[in-house]
Amino acid sequence: MLKRGIVGRRIVKRILLVVLAAVGSLAMFAGSVMAHHGVAGYDMTKTVTLHGTVAKFDWSNPHVVVYVDAKNEGGEMQHWTIEFAAPVHMVRAGWSKNSMKAGDDIIIETHPSRNGAPVGITSTITFILKTVVNGQALPGRSE
Amino acid sequence: MRIHLAVLIAAIAAALACSPHLQAQSSLGSAGAKAQQPGLMSGGIPDLSGIWDADFHGPEGLRLNTWDSSDPFAKHPEQAPMTPWAAQKFKDVRPPFGALQTFDNTNDPVQRFCDPPGVPRIYMYPWELTFIPTPKIVYILYEYTKVWRAIYMDRDHPKDPESSWMGDSVGKYEGDTFVIDTIGFNDKTWLDQTGHPHSDALHVIERFRRLDHDRLELSVTIDDPKAYTKIFSNTKVFRLTSAPMGETLCAYSEMKEFQEKVVDKTQTPPSK
Repeated sequence: MLKRGIVGRRIVKRILLVVLAAVGSLAMFAGSVMAHHGVAGYDMTKTVTLHGTVAKFDWSNPHVVVYVDAKNEGGEMQHWTIEFAAPVHMVRAGWSKNSMKAGDDIIIETHPSRNGAPVGITSTITFILKTVVNGQALPGRSE
Repeated sequence: MRIHLAVLIAAIAAALACSPHLQAQSSLGSAGAKAQQPGLMSGGIPDLSGIWDADFHGPEGLRLNTWDSSDPFAKHPEQAPMTPWAAQKFKDVRPPFGALQTFDNTNDPVQRFCDPPGVPRIYMYPWELTFIPTPKIVYILYEYTKVWRAIYMDRDHPKDPESSWMGDSVGKYEGDTFVIDTIGFNDKTWLDQTGHPHSDALHVIERFRRLDHDRLELSVTIDDPKAYTKIFSNTKVFRLTSAPMGETLCAYSEMKEFQEKVVDKTQTPPSK
């Protein structure tokens, strides 16, 4: 029984190692490349969730950008700039230029800038984080 | 040039109007295209019709950062087999991709200036491409920046070709494979996303082969004796898609605006 338990734990350990290796590989690939530039400016290990108002939705190349006014934990209003993949890729993911507009209520996850500036990245060719506009979730894609 | 453009436009129109494969894809989507199941060869040559997507999602579509199969994801781009000339040039690059990636003042000519990515870097972007065969020239249309190439099937390279961004390309069919041989490049482009340089002696061989109905394999071989001490190569896979090619022009005004409004704000320390 003891032996079987050890063997079982070894198998579990091996499975865990394989899973960790796979997750690590995916994380490396996801963070390594995007359409126009890498993600060195963003902390891809952090995800913040903002709830605010769309100030502007800029549907243009090289990347779609949404400007969001949202209060931080201290109640101070911040003006966030959040980038997505290119318009063509967002269309293929089910988005459009009408996915949101100024004045819309928005809940959005984003990987924030490393330097603390209110800038984030919510989508590349490989993923789209949770984005909810006026209570409706827009199409996403797992990282 | 005008003649080439006219031929290109006519070829695209003819292909879109006449190709049952393209019509099937546009009207039926990928499910319909699968049901059609055309052969991989047509008229004794590889059938490359359709729109091919640089599949970034499937396991085979994992994107490359270099063409060196020993370091495809650029974990050690500085260890590429560069000549002293190339190694010196590489020290000055600030690439936005790979292990040495930086957002701060990258000097990637594509990102900074909307320069054409050149060959073979054009294949490292997540965009579509399609082939337009004509009797003497096979055109390749790339979604990214709407650039196109003419692959001459009825001649060899000129003895001393003009230097150009996309080079002088000649092609031939070898069984199920479309082989493209290109020389005559300028030395202004990067080979890959990590800034590996090349010289005007760059010689690129592309080999396109359909693995099955939905997958197209591209093998790229790099031979540049001025810049590299050995020949190296790698492959990537494209996937048949029903998504029409869109507009992904690199407009300098848009790039500049994006740089100022987004990229600059992520730099350390913030510039604004």
